Amino acid sequence: MSSLVGFLSLVFAIGINFYLFLSRYIFKFQKQKFNLFIRFSSLLTLLSFFSLMYAYVVSDFSNYNVFQNSHSNKPLIYKISGTWGNHEGSMLLWLSILSIFSFFFSFTKNIDESFQRLTLIIQSLLHILFGLFIVFTSNPFLVNSILINEGLGLNPILQDPGLAVHPPILYGGYVGYSIVFSIAIAGLFQNTDDEWLYVAKKWSLISWTFLTGGIALGSYWAYYELGWGGWWFWDPVENISLMPWIAGLALVHSLMMVRGEQAIKKWIVFLSILCFSLSVFGTFLVRSGILTSVHSFAADASRGIFILLIFFIVTGFGFLVFLLKEPKKSNALNLLFINKVSALVINNILMIIATLTILLGTIYPIIIEVLYNKRISVGGPYFNATVIPIMIPGFLLMSIAPILSWQTNKIQNSKKYVLGFIILSILVLIQSYFLDFNTWGFVGLLLGFWIILASIIAIFSSYKVKFTIKFVKIINPHIAHIGVGIAIIGITCSSVFQNELDFNLSEGDKFIVNGKTVLFEEIETTNQINFQALRGKFLFNIEKNQSKQIEAGKNYYPVSKMITSEAGILHQWNKDIYFILGDQKDNEWFVKVLINPFVSFIWLGVIIMMYSGLIAVSRR
Amino acid sequence: MSLRFQRLLLILLTLVIILSAVLLILYNTRENVSYFYTPSEINKPDIVKNETIRIGGFVENNSFNKISSSSFKFKITDEKASILVIFNGILPDLFREGQGAVIEGAFVDNDIFNATNVFAKHDENYMPASIKEDLKDTGYWNKKYK
Repeated sequence: MSSLVGFLSLVFAIGINFYLFLSRYIFKFQKQKFNLFIRFSSLLTLLSFFSLMYAYVVSDFSNYNVFQNSHSNKPLIYKISGTWGNHEGSMLLWLSILSIFSFFFSFTKNIDESFQRLTLIIQSLLHILFGLFIVFTSNPFLVNSILINEGLGLNPILQDPGLAVHPPILYGGYVGYSIVFSIAIAGLFQNTDDEWLYVAKKWSLISWTFLTGGIALGSYWAYYELGWGGWWFWDPVENISLMPWIAGLALVHSLMMVRGEQAIKKWIVFLSILCFSLSVFGTFLVRSGILTSVHSFAADASRGIFILLIFFIVTGFGFLVFLLKEPKKSNALNLLFINKVSALVINNILMIIATLTILLGTIYPIIIEVLYNKRISVGGPYFNATVIPIMIPGFLLMSIAPILSWQTNKIQNSKKYVLGFIILSILVLIQSYFLDFNTWGFVGLLLGFWIILASIIAIFSSYKVKFTIKFVKIINPHIAHIGVGIAIIGITCSSVFQNELDFNLSEGDKFIVNGKTVLFEEIETTNQINFQALRGKFLFNIEKNQSKQIEAGKNYYPVSKMITSEAGILHQWNKDIYFILGDQKDNEWFVKVLINPFVSFIWLGVIIMMYSGLIAVSRR
Repeated sequence: MSLRFQRLLLILLTLVIILSAVLLILYNTRENVSYFYTPSEINKPDIVKNETIRIGGFVENNSFNKISSSSFKFKITDEKASILVIFNGILPDLFREGQGAVIEGAFVDNDIFNATNVFAKHDENYMPASIKEDLKDTGYWNKKYK
């Protein structure tokens, strides 16, 4: 029953969008009525999504999708998240989020009516494309022909609270760029004034904030769930999410800086199209099965071709409009050697090069295989060695960019900055001399601290410190950059200064980690709702009274016959102590302990960046 | 500095950035890319000792041996040839005999492959697309694999 409701409302919503698209050139709608139709179709799409979710929650195994991906003994939260833990459901989620963005955009006030309508028509077109994709290749509402009492279960690795919310948030970013795309195209067509720039800024900030949150959640999940001790592996799917993120960052900066310059306006349109194209391209790469990764649910050639088609339509249409239409002429670019505009230009060039580098590394294996029939893999070392050096000048630039002038080459209070930089370099050099000297570690720490210091100097020397909302908004760019600096420190420390210790232990053994004695208490097995848990119990720092218990082990999921690792992590503000339980032989267990310094700084930095993203939404 | 000179400087700077990025990419695609083989392709003489490569195939049945709780010996096969692998560390959760795996490492001598990384992907039906074709040819292909 719920499958029928879901399918009908999905089809009906697509029908409404068709009708809207056709009627625009036949009937003349009143604005109110038009928006009502858009909202109605959005609600229908959501109804469709929630009926699938309902089928998951009540374990309605008459639905083929539920049967394939769910099991009646799963905890409720994973029944809900199972809705998007598979290809079909995740595409329906994609469409639902597209609808939500259209829904809210239809309420935007104080913008030109015809501009708003044109934007929504483009959204309608996207809705039709992705809607047809779902109906024809990925229908989640197929019904089993025979009666079935039990499902096959959700991939255990996806049964995690962090990962349950990761897809909707990430999609909020990916799909959010659809509205930015539509706004940019509509802006080119209408071409009346620069109003669309403000609208685009708001929505691209929202999308970027969602994307940041989604990537960070995925990365945090990989950190504690995969049990490899790292949080970024340059996996193709991670790269795919990073590309629109960097392009989106360039877009946000361009939108902040634009003062009606013709060249920058054009560039903004280009970036808007690029961001959404990269999102669709990423979907194609993941869903087509060309790239094998944690995220490729199933490879199906017809899906790949369909998405590739959508990609070509979206990108082709976007760039065609971009080439044919010009933004209205206005101010010329005020380029000086080092002023705000030139900093922006260089920063954008660097970001685009970084994006292209990642793109190249991600699809290089495919190109080589097609051309030479040789198989290669491009892993972390390539990306570390190309992307990081490209980003470094950008990071240097960003420390001073917010205080550069619009009109002249002069930098206010330049002496303070030079002095600050010299003192900081000496301090970091001394510090790295006492720890093991490492070039990357030195560069990373210096950059991170310098960005923070320069931002703080800028806040205190350029503005009067007041505790008002207005002040919070004014210093927001600096706060965002402080977040980046903190994240850089975290990234540098946790990757360069990571320490790895290996032990072979029996129950009751004591061993030393980071100068503290750890007791390997026992191995315990317990039965949980839908898995069996094997846990090694460790007592950290037994000499003191405030000893901490750490549990590391594995879970066995009988339904899918799978094992997952569960790392035991002791979080401290300046380091994570990360326990992984390995294999066993003759009562000896292999235990790997990783000391990851300042990992928490990464998450803190990301939270600050997201906060700034949200604050900037409200700033005009 | 005249306006014209400043713009020239900017353009030069941009060119330098782009050029260095291109050089960086070219250098790294030669240095930091590892080739991927199946076990039967290994015996070609073009594989240099101590060069990092990846090998994809199946963990051969009855070949897995625990030397200690953290060092393992097993064979990777594609039914035409098999390679003896030693690995120190923690094997991935889905590592099992008869399952697909990709190993990264280098040959320490002509017969023994020293693995630094072992990948067994998260979906138990997972199969690296790149070795799918070979497996279909040898009949090791299992319909369950997607």
